[in-house]
Amino acid sequence: MTRIMLGSAVLRGTVVGVLAASLMSTSALGAPPVDLSKWSPEYVRSIAGTQDFDTAGDCAKVTPLDYKGRLTFWYQGVFEGDPDLLRQYYKDFFETFRKTYPNIQLEEQALTYNDLLDKFRTALLGNAAPMAVRLQILGGTEFASKGYLQPLKPEDVGYSTEDFWPGAMKAVTWDGVTYGVPTNNETMAFIWNADIFKRAGLDPDKAPATWDDVVKYSKQIHDKLGIAGYGLVARKNAGNTPYRFMPQLWAYGGGVFDEATANPTYKQVELDSPQSKAALQASYDMYVRDKSVPVSALTNQQADNQPLFVAGQLGMMVSHPSDYNVMLDLQAKATGTDKDKAQTVIDNMRYGLIPTGPDGKRAVVFGGSNIHILKPEYVEGGKVDEPAAKAMICMWASPEWSLKMAYAGSNPGNLNGFKTKWMKERLDHIKFLDVTTSMLPYGIPFPALPESPEIMNIIVPDMLQNALTGAMTVDQAADDAAKKVKDLMGGL
Amino acid sequence: MTIVTGKAEARRKLQPGRSGVLRNIWAHRADYAYVLPAIAVMLVVIAYPIYYTIELSFYKTPPGLQLRDKTFIGFDNYTTILTSEVFWKVTWNTLVWTFGSTFISFVLGFATALALHRDFIGRGVLRAILIIPWVISAVAASYIWKWIYHSDFGIIGAVLVGLGLTDRPPNFIDNVSTVLPSLIVVNIWREFPFAMIMMMAGLQTVPDQLLRAAKVDGANAWQRFWHVTFPHLRNVSVVTILLLAVANFNSFIIPWIMTAGGPSNASHIWITHIYELAFGRQRWGVASAYSVLLFLILMTLGYFYVRALSGNERKEGGA
Repeated sequence: MTRIMLGSAVLRGTVVGVLAASLMSTSALGAPPVDLSKWSPEYVRSIAGTQDFDTAGDCAKVTPLDYKGRLTFWYQGVFEGDPDLLRQYYKDFFETFRKTYPNIQLEEQALTYNDLLDKFRTALLGNAAPMAVRLQILGGTEFASKGYLQPLKPEDVGYSTEDFWPGAMKAVTWDGVTYGVPTNNETMAFIWNADIFKRAGLDPDKAPATWDDVVKYSKQIHDKLGIAGYGLVARKNAGNTPYRFMPQLWAYGGGVFDEATANPTYKQVELDSPQSKAALQASYDMYVRDKSVPVSALTNQQADNQPLFVAGQLGMMVSHPSDYNVMLDLQAKATGTDKDKAQTVIDNMRYGLIPTGPDGKRAVVFGGSNIHILKPEYVEGGKVDEPAAKAMICMWASPEWSLKMAYAGSNPGNLNGFKTKWMKERLDHIKFLDVTTSMLPYGIPFPALPESPEIMNIIVPDMLQNALTGAMTVDQAADDAAKKVKDLMGGL
Repeated sequence: MTIVTGKAEARRKLQPGRSGVLRNIWAHRADYAYVLPAIAVMLVVIAYPIYYTIELSFYKTPPGLQLRDKTFIGFDNYTTILTSEVFWKVTWNTLVWTFGSTFISFVLGFATALALHRDFIGRGVLRAILIIPWVISAVAASYIWKWIYHSDFGIIGAVLVGLGLTDRPPNFIDNVSTVLPSLIVVNIWREFPFAMIMMMAGLQTVPDQLLRAAKVDGANAWQRFWHVTFPHLRNVSVVTILLLAVANFNSFIIPWIMTAGGPSNASHIWITHIYELAFGRQRWGVASAYSVLLFLILMTLGYFYVRALSGNERKEGGA
């Protein structure tokens, strides 16, 4: 029922055209391997399992399988909020790489999302960076603009630019030059507990249609059941915060700049617009006026919301499809009556499209990760083994592994991944996957600017915290954040 | 006839005014040769970073450029810092954090040391238990306390609600007024065992015969403590307080892990603010200027620490 409902919702989406155009416009790039204009859960199902790929064979054309070399590689890896399933795929990938390229001495290092940028920046200052790095989508332009990265396009590792989401390619492009290859791209969805909805007098099978409804539902759940309604996240220096607040901001018609338009120029700061303030007001209403969200939202990350949700203490949240698997993992670790309670929550877990704003605008962060190769002068030892780095990138960005490494939490960066047999298997095994793939056309990339990490990880969370703690009014917090962005863009 | 002791002779030899620094170094060339590798390592890992930080503090380092593209701006970074609102807020937080943590940790540690100085059954076990917070990793402790304080499902809140003392769990770390005191409590919990150990060691140096003599003279417990015990502990107290103060000025783990300086900068102290400026916002120049100021404060504390230590040595040496 959910799938049918979602499929039609996707087809009905009226505002999606503008957003989809920014992500899917292919006129300048040629034809992609899948028809993005037909994107829907039904279409994704229809192409799954229709093509086989020989990963080792394809990568052998880039770097011979008997190539002897050495590669240092950092990557944004799994963290506490990821399911065990993903951990296994990461393990399998590196084992497979070592078997496929037995003569490449691989020295890999996993870092969490919140640590990677800081550590990578520090390493670059000391010319001690790895030869290749897999960064969050937000980071590519920062390092490309500063000249740390080598030009690198999908064609350099055996693929074509059209094999990847156009929106993802924007995030690895700076000043007209491509500096990386997308590995995975993702959009989140809206998750709710149907049992809590029912007990609170809400329709258990219907997600809130608008963000205003989220505010109302959250209050109703809290007033009737005494638990938190919506899993607001407003921690500073944590990627989870912008990933959950920006969809709300865009849905209300706001933005940091004009990033939600088809052809953003990033010239005009919009954080202090009435629409942006309305979005901030919605968070304020939930946290301060209604007290219907966790009080701990200011220090919480999504990983803190997950145990609350599985304990039946949280009604709604925004997250990945992998949260279903995380709930299964948490349930497996529970004991006694907690196990049964967790099972009840899992049975009542529902996914839906992220709510719209007052004007019907629906938006979600177009997230993901990219792999880059560093310039030798910034690398420890002053040398980059390019064939070894390209072998790694070819393998990770292959249809097979870009799909497997995103198995539960994301989507393949390589669009051919949607055609593999593993995608078919995944559609059958990963519950609610089609909901998040349905959200992909609504995805808006973060501004492709070197200043984006500071804006998203520090200025936006600061704005939220200033408003929610009462340190500033909503208007003051939005104006303050807008000023900080203007100062930042002005080089201060 | 004058008898010159070994110590006095060594002291005379170290008086550069008498023989000149260079002659002195030459006379002790073998000694200097032995410590040269250590000095070289210290120059590389301590002196150069200090020099580089001072140098960077005079440069503008825009976040959109590489560090090599920095531009010289003289004292502008220092002016920026001293005229910014955040600086005064963060400085106030740092003072509250440092003095609050240091003073209470010391008092609590001293009181515990006095209590444990007396002989009673289970003293060893109690002493071992009280040291646990100090040996636990600060990272692990921060995560544990984050959940203890959790504003929705923390154990303190659950107990208070369970006892009917409050309707809602208290908001410890998600409130601008309570976050800093709450973090100070965690810091005290971690640090007071250190003060306790230091003061216990100091208590063992108080001559028992003096205490007995005071008792014979009719001094009560308070008078014996104030006129005999405490004067003997003055130097160890100064050293302990200085070490705690330096550690607290430099404290990073607890506030960063528990709140990342939030909410709304209410728990940002200098060191977390410097980290955010440098690694989060890439204002290396401003962060370096902050670091230089912090360095000067810590050097001042360090001077008093060394002076306190040399005071001890002079007393032990009978000078």
